[in-house]
Amino acid sequence: MANVEGKATAITVLTPVKREGPLVLWAVFWAGRHIKETLQKLEQLSFIHYARWAVIDRFPDEDGGEKLDHEYLLFESNFNGTWDQYIDAFSEVVPFRMKAIWGTSYGFPGPNPVEPFKDYIRRNEYVANHYWSAYPGFTTTEIISAGHVEAALNEFQRHAPELAPETFKSAYESLLTTIQHDL
Amino acid sequence: MSHANNISGQAYSLTVLTPILDGDEPELALYLNNLQAGDQSPLAGVPGTHFARWVVMDDVMYEGDDQGEREHLQHARLLFTSNFDGELEPYLDGLRTGLGDSADEIWGHCIGYPGTTEADAFAGYFRHHQIDSSLFFSAYGERTVSDVTRSLALRTRFIDFVLGAQGLPAEELKAAFLQKFGA
Repeated sequence: MANVEGKATAITVLTPVKREGPLVLWAVFWAGRHIKETLQKLEQLSFIHYARWAVIDRFPDEDGGEKLDHEYLLFESNFNGTWDQYIDAFSEVVPFRMKAIWGTSYGFPGPNPVEPFKDYIRRNEYVANHYWSAYPGFTTTEIISAGHVEAALNEFQRHAPELAPETFKSAYESLLTTIQHDL
Repeated sequence: MSHANNISGQAYSLTVLTPILDGDEPELALYLNNLQAGDQSPLAGVPGTHFARWVVMDDVMYEGDDQGEREHLQHARLLFTSNFDGELEPYLDGLRTGLGDSADEIWGHCIGYPGTTEADAFAGYFRHHQIDSSLFFSAYGERTVSDVTRSLALRTRFIDFVLGAQGLPAEELKAAFLQKFGA
C-alpha cells in the first residue's frame, strides 16, 4: 500500500453521481476547460503536480462495458504536503468549485466545515497499491522555481562571457535579485 | 467526451480500468504492494512517466439510502493512471517494452489481457479500457520529465555555486561562473 512516494502523495476518489449529476458535470467541466480562471486557482494552490476528473458511465470490460445504476466520478491528484493540508486548501481556497463538482455526488456534505468533507473523501477513497513519481524528492513549487532559474540562467549565460568583470558582477547580482525567491 | 480532454500542454492523462479475473484480487494486490518503490519500480523503465499508480478496486463505494439500493461491480477493477509526456501510442509501446514481464505479472490477472508479445494487441487492450478525462490539470504541463529533472539539477548546482561564490572579487567570480556554467 503506498499513497506516498517521497514528497508526493496520491489521492484516488470514486463517488457515485446523482441522476441529474452527469449533465451538471458536463457543464462544470466544460467551463473548467474553457474558462481560464478555473484552473488558475488550482495553480495558485501551488502544491498540485497533476490532477484529473473523469466521469465513468460504463466500467470497461470485453464488450460494451459494465453499466451500473449510477455514473461514477473519478478524481485523482498528485500533490506534495499532507492529505489534511490538501483537503483544507480545497475547502478554503476553492469551495465553490468543490461544491460544483462533488455536489453532484451522493453524500457530499459540502466543502465547509472541513471535517465532514474530510470524512466524505476518506469514505470514498482508495489506497494505491503502487505509486510512482519520477522526481519524488521535489515539490511542485521547486519544479516551477527550477524552470524560472533555468530560463534566467540561460539568458544570463548568453551575455556573461563578453562582460567585463565588474559589469559581470553587477549583472550576476541583479540575476540573483531577480530569482532570489526561486532559489 | 473527447480524447483532447486528456491533454494539458504536452502532458497526457491516461486512465485505464480493466476487469480483474474473479478471485484474483488478493494475489494481484499483494504483487503490487510488494513492488519496489523509487528507482526499482518497474515504472522507472517506462520513459516519460511523471506520476503513475495502480489501484485495485474491489467494488464501488456506497453512499447510503439516498442512492437507492447498493450496487456492485460484476468484476473488481484494476485502475492504472499515468501522467506522461507526449502521445498515447508511443507511450503504450513504452509501457509494453519498459514494463516487460511486470506488465504480464500485473495485467495477466485481468480478463482478456493479450500479453506483451504483440504490440498492436497490447495497445488495443489499453485503448479499449481507457476512460477519457473530463478535466486535466497540470502545473507544468509543457515540461517533460527530462526538462523537469534537468532544471532541478541545474537549480541545485547553481545554489551550490551561489553559496560558494559569496564574497569573491569580480574577476574570480566571472572565471568561476564560466568554468561551471560557461557555454
